[in-house]
Amino acid sequence: MKEGKMIAMLLAGGQGSRLKLLTQEVAKPAVPFGGKYRIIDFPLSNCSNSNIFDVGILTQYKPYQLNSHIGIGSAWDLDRRSGGVRVLPPYTSELGGRWYKGTANAIYENISFIDELDPEYVLILSGDHIYKMDYSKMLDFHIQKKADITISVVGVPWDETHRFGILNIDENNFITEFDEKPKHAKSNLASMGIYIFNWKALRSYLVAEEKKAGSANDFGKDIIPQMKLDGKKTFAYEFEGYWKDVGTVKSYWEANMDLLSDDNELDLYDSNWKIYTKNKHLPPQYIACGASVTNSLINEGCTVEGHLESCVLFNEILIKKEAKVFNTVILSGVTIEEDCEIHNAVIMEDVTVKAGTVIGSPDSNIIYLVSKNKIIETE
Amino acid sequence: MKNCLGIINLSEVDSPFGVLCQNRPASMLPFAGRYRVIDFTLSNMVNSGINNIGVFTGNKVRSVMDHLGSGQPWDLDRKINGLFLFTPTYDYTSINAKVGDLDLFFQNKSFVKNAKQENIFLAKTYMIANIDLKEAYQEFLDTGADIGIIYKKVSDPKNRFIGCDKINFDGKGEFESIGTNLGMEENFDLSLEMYFMKKNVYFDLLFDSVERGNANYLKQAVLNSLNKYKVHTIEFTGYVSCINTLRNYFDANMAILNQEISNELFFEHGQIFTKVKDEPSTHYKKNARIKNSFVANGCQIDGYVENSIIFRGVKVEKGCIIRNSIVMQKTHIDENVHLNYTILDKRTTINKGVTLIGDPSLPYIGGKKAVISKEGDI
Repeated sequence: MKEGKMIAMLLAGGQGSRLKLLTQEVAKPAVPFGGKYRIIDFPLSNCSNSNIFDVGILTQYKPYQLNSHIGIGSAWDLDRRSGGVRVLPPYTSELGGRWYKGTANAIYENISFIDELDPEYVLILSGDHIYKMDYSKMLDFHIQKKADITISVVGVPWDETHRFGILNIDENNFITEFDEKPKHAKSNLASMGIYIFNWKALRSYLVAEEKKAGSANDFGKDIIPQMKLDGKKTFAYEFEGYWKDVGTVKSYWEANMDLLSDDNELDLYDSNWKIYTKNKHLPPQYIACGASVTNSLINEGCTVEGHLESCVLFNEILIKKEAKVFNTVILSGVTIEEDCEIHNAVIMEDVTVKAGTVIGSPDSNIIYLVSKNKIIETE
Repeated sequence: MKNCLGIINLSEVDSPFGVLCQNRPASMLPFAGRYRVIDFTLSNMVNSGINNIGVFTGNKVRSVMDHLGSGQPWDLDRKINGLFLFTPTYDYTSINAKVGDLDLFFQNKSFVKNAKQENIFLAKTYMIANIDLKEAYQEFLDTGADIGIIYKKVSDPKNRFIGCDKINFDGKGEFESIGTNLGMEENFDLSLEMYFMKKNVYFDLLFDSVERGNANYLKQAVLNSLNKYKVHTIEFTGYVSCINTLRNYFDANMAILNQEISNELFFEHGQIFTKVKDEPSTHYKKNARIKNSFVANGCQIDGYVENSIIFRGVKVEKGCIIRNSIVMQKTHIDENVHLNYTILDKRTTINKGVTLIGDPSLPYIGGKKAVISKEGDI
């Protein structure tokens, strides 16, 4: 065992079905976010910035775009002589092939990968959240508390506690109780799905859990409660800062719009904690003579001739003359033709919005998800 | 173009660019929001399939090394072939100071000798274009010529190409000689200073000139022995701008605001690659007003910007008016600054209320890391 060494295992196999058309072709971690990124860029950049250079990425649902995005990990400086980034899909063995049954099973199936790297600690991450976090500080906390498990938690608004797995803790951050989606929460600390385990202990629990019939093989439902029951020390690490689960089209749209506010906590311009992504080598954006652009994020390769207000534009987008777009997220390759008026929408990749189209209205809360052949309304 | 070796010689004159070239050669001048001048030549070569490239860096090495590094953005960090940098060396034993590139080529002859390629493509960087070299190379091979020169028929009423090489043809339209354009004729044939050459011809020229001592530059050697070799001229018909004076540099940047030109330069025969900075998208804030401008990523703009080129990571605070200017990487422009016909080098700071006005023929230049404040403020 290499003392003090921590590796990360990133669960990136989820579909994220509530994102509807956004995840029709890609897994949730590969969904584009923030004008140039994909969701998985956040945990991957966090790893790199936290000096964690061994990352196993567990894929399952529609992995093609995710695989080509990750490549050999050079965008995150994770192309290493030894270790580095590894994509770990489900595989077949002499017993036949099978899908990952649950989050814990996905790690179990890759025990040999972790054994080879031989770490003292394993960091379990999910590829579904937008946040910037220094995992090395969480490890310091884990070591200082002599914990067996550390779970990262974040304070959520009290009226939303029923949507999260809530943890109740004592004054030493010792976890006293798990409260899954409680009706009357005693605390507002929600689990972020980020765990640090001592690998030796976790390994034996994974092996034991695998033998149990009818287990869901899930960290939250099976492994952690069992370890707690056996008296393993579980602590909560309180994270402060921006954290968002972009589970639905609405929250996806909101998280993108958050980037436009002046007091946005997720500072993408912080050069000490850059978010990295695969580069497309495009020329700068061109804003034409008659254009007006306010409160918007625009990426390379865009040409704007029309009117944009509070929009997030990905790359290679053409907004033609007299088109007016408000509060909208536009993914790459989109063309918006003349005289369109669009409010509160998410426009998917490579869509051409024909001249004169009107989508949404300024005084409605409905978010429109626009794809090549249909428009879905969501509240 | 597997059989063609690339050589880029960064021997352009720096002196016309003043403080902009204090610590960088002209080939490393920032261009078009996120590029350096050299990116075009290098990307053209890579896009055409030349994957073994030697760069003769000249003496401002730090800037060159910093930008090119291992060649990764151009996909030249290879085990087989790749990017090779040759820095100048001092020979203390010789009493004669060496001028010109010929000595440099001679000293590094083993790079060319050991390369498996049988033909050479030699280029400078100051001609900005997006060229399909594959096509030109094929033409060179098909004619069986010893030397191929790429040229363009230009009409130059504004004298943009003064001092550039000019191809002269005889009455039958056959190649006759290379001279210097003094602007006597409006229409002439501009040499892009891009040459194809057979490897044995390269060595003949090199060794012959060293023995005779009659040339300091490879181009001189070529001119000395034009009668010995079959020279073929290859016409290029696309857009070219020439970075040889400050005025031309300024105008070449501004030409990017023309959509036709920028589409050709950035997409025609493949993408232009450059060092990646991992900047987020550009944020246009509530007071932003932008007209006819080319803006790179990572900027935060809250002022008025018109007819300008804004590089990566520039901050423009509210109340600013920026017109007809080039603002390079990581420059911070504080509130109520007024710029017109200004070039600001990297990491410049312009404090509140400053007004900088240049002239189209002589833009105001703020040097790298300069801090400019209003009179009376510290």
